[in-house]
Amino acid sequence: MRVKGLRTIVNRRALNPAMYPRTNERFPDEKLGRILTQLRALRSRLNLLAIQHGLFYSLAMLIAAGAIVYACAFTLSPLNFMIIAAIAAATAPVAIVTATRTAWSMRASTARAASLADERAELKGRLATIVTIAQHRRRGPMWSYLVEDTLSRSEEFAPARIERRRISKGIFALAGALVLAGIAWPISKIRHAQIAAANQRPDDLTLDLNDLHLRPADPGDDSGVTVSADPATMRQLQARLAHDGLDAGQGNSTSLDSLVNHARDLAGNLQSKLTGQKSQPQRLNLKLADAADPFAQDKDRNNNFAQQHKHNDNPAGQFQRDQPAGKEGDLPQNPVHNENQDQDRPAGAGDMGNQSQGGKNSADDNQDQTADANSQQNGDQGSNGGAAHGIGADPDSLFGAPAQAKLGSEGFEIAIEARPLDKGPKGAGHAYEPPKVRTTLSTDQEPDEPVARTDVPSEDRTTIKRVFER
Amino acid sequence: MTDMDSAALETPTVADFARTFRRIQAEIHKVIIGHEQAVEEMLSALFAGGHVLIEGVPGTGKTTLVKTLGLALNLSFNRIQFTVDLMPADITGTRVIETGADGRREFTFQPGPVFCHILLGDEINRATPKTQSALLEAMAELQVTVAGITHVLPPPYFVMATLNPIEMEGTYPLPEAQLDRFLFKVRLNYPDEAELTRIISSTTGPEDAGIEAVFHVAEAPQRIEALKKLVREVMVAPEIEQYAARVVRATQPQNSRFVSDEARAVHDDMVNRYVLFGSSPRGAQALILGAKVRALLDGRANVAREDIDRVAVPGLAHRIMLNYAAHSDGIDAVHIVERVLKSVRAARA
Repeated sequence: MRVKGLRTIVNRRALNPAMYPRTNERFPDEKLGRILTQLRALRSRLNLLAIQHGLFYSLAMLIAAGAIVYACAFTLSPLNFMIIAAIAAATAPVAIVTATRTAWSMRASTARAASLADERAELKGRLATIVTIAQHRRRGPMWSYLVEDTLSRSEEFAPARIERRRISKGIFALAGALVLAGIAWPISKIRHAQIAAANQRPDDLTLDLNDLHLRPADPGDDSGVTVSADPATMRQLQARLAHDGLDAGQGNSTSLDSLVNHARDLAGNLQSKLTGQKSQPQRLNLKLADAADPFAQDKDRNNNFAQQHKHNDNPAGQFQRDQPAGKEGDLPQNPVHNENQDQDRPAGAGDMGNQSQGGKNSADDNQDQTADANSQQNGDQGSNGGAAHGIGADPDSLFGAPAQAKLGSEGFEIAIEARPLDKGPKGAGHAYEPPKVRTTLSTDQEPDEPVARTDVPSEDRTTIKRVFER
Repeated sequence: MTDMDSAALETPTVADFARTFRRIQAEIHKVIIGHEQAVEEMLSALFAGGHVLIEGVPGTGKTTLVKTLGLALNLSFNRIQFTVDLMPADITGTRVIETGADGRREFTFQPGPVFCHILLGDEINRATPKTQSALLEAMAELQVTVAGITHVLPPPYFVMATLNPIEMEGTYPLPEAQLDRFLFKVRLNYPDEAELTRIISSTTGPEDAGIEAVFHVAEAPQRIEALKKLVREVMVAPEIEQYAARVVRATQPQNSRFVSDEARAVHDDMVNRYVLFGSSPRGAQALILGAKVRALLDGRANVAREDIDRVAVPGLAHRIMLNYAAHSDGIDAVHIVERVLKSVRAARA
């Protein structure tokens, strides 16, 4: 604007030199030009800072939001990731718009630059008055004095003195965002390596259903545990959950639950895309065994296994959604054996261990049971301490010096996530809150350690030896 | 008178103005102890072309101040002691019958005390409204009309009226229209202890204060008029004029039936609660003119917001009429003006 005004003055002078005598008015205009040039430099600096402000803050917001989302994709559960990602997605645009608006409001016209210079250099309105009056044709007799007076203070409103910064403070925000991104990158790498390692380490754990301590899990809690069991045990688990009031979510299917499930799946897909992992990470397979009612279990197992071969969506697999492919049909292969139960049980007592084979072929069920019983009698000495002193042991080596057994009595707690397949993301699902399972050793159960050799009174030895010889 | 002073008579500069102003101030303060701000405001009103209403309790130097100013400026000076029986003709002048050399008798105009450069109207609120109004024409139009004949007052013309805030019995408070004609209202407070000590020592001794006239008697009016012209030439940016207008508008209560376009004014609850009538447009003129003097004193050819703020209280306080609520709550017009300035600054920020 000021430039245009100056050009107008110059052009008029060229057209009519008599009206604008050069001797008297040239010098004030030249001085005015120097003042306005200085103001334009200040204006450019202010506008550059405004542009930097908008650019740096916008970039900082984008980078920070991206870094947070990327890091959370590796570290958080889908539900938490979804929340964080939604917050980031909502916050980042607002912050960018705010930064842009602030930058827009920071832009300076020459008049604004003059006012700012007046304020910061304490020029008491000299520059603002010059900029305003310069547009008028009649400038008054004191115009020359004002220009001269202002020009004599030109050092006070030099651009470098009025605005010392060449780089906006937004650079710090950008640097902070880059640092955040720098932190998020190794976090994602470390987490990626951990997940990859977990995928290569299948963990199986077999527990007795009676030893489970059930309680509700937090929504979205991903314990990384997959539960598998035979259908009868699963039903009993469900019955327990119902009894403990932990399966309320299954019974009350609401649109909110469905929405949460969809959101979780969406977040999971997004996480998969961000992390580059196509499948779910390998989980700890928690295999349940019901040692309390082996006969009923056998009966249920036979019925359910027959159905299982007829339908792919077998009940036994309803808790196996998160299992890796190829393991969906698997059933516990190493059920927990209570030594006392094993000894008290008839020959079919070892059928629990046969469940895995039953999943393959129900026709071989009896044969498998016999084989399983034999394997029990042959002694799984590596895993079952009772076998060393039980059936199949050498009667001559029954007695010896008492051993110092390592008896463990501690239990453990583990959280499991289990969702029926038909309640999963592909089904008409509703939210299922996975139970947290606390397993403690039964008071009737000996620790999972070899039974310690103990002293046998000499009068009883003959009787015991006779039993084993029989 | 030096050569420089002679040159300044023709075209005074900003520096001339400031130097002259400070010199007059110094001469006055040879007699007047303290009251620096009052003296500065009074001189500002003089060079801005306005008149001053001086308010102060008896004995604070009101009359002395005016007399000293007249001596320092080397201008003609008159004093009117306003009383309840003072008639308008007593101040404007009257026609008397005079016998000429040829024996013929004719009416001739006998100028009253208003015909001077500096007029002190002492305790103006003791005169009747009729007499007070007689002074209005002289103050506003620099002329008096007697028997249909208008007589022009010689410039510069500067009226200083004093108000005694006590002994209000039998007084006639100045109407708002007359108050509005005073550019500034200057308040003379009691001197502090140090000032009082100096007053005692300087006024009870044998020596004279020795005031020197700043101007030569023959050229004093022209010099002062030239300086007043210089004040008018000080430049004011439109945004400063807007600021002054905004300040004046903010003194007007929004609930007044005389106020329109409420949305564009700065609202202040204190104004709405305590002010009956706000400042007139003359208040804005007073702000700008007083600010111009302030700018020149600061060596500037342009008015800044600080100049407006500096003259806001003397320029606006006497133009604001307060209601009974203000009097009962102990709020005076100075509080209102300071509050208005604060509100306008906040709105600007």
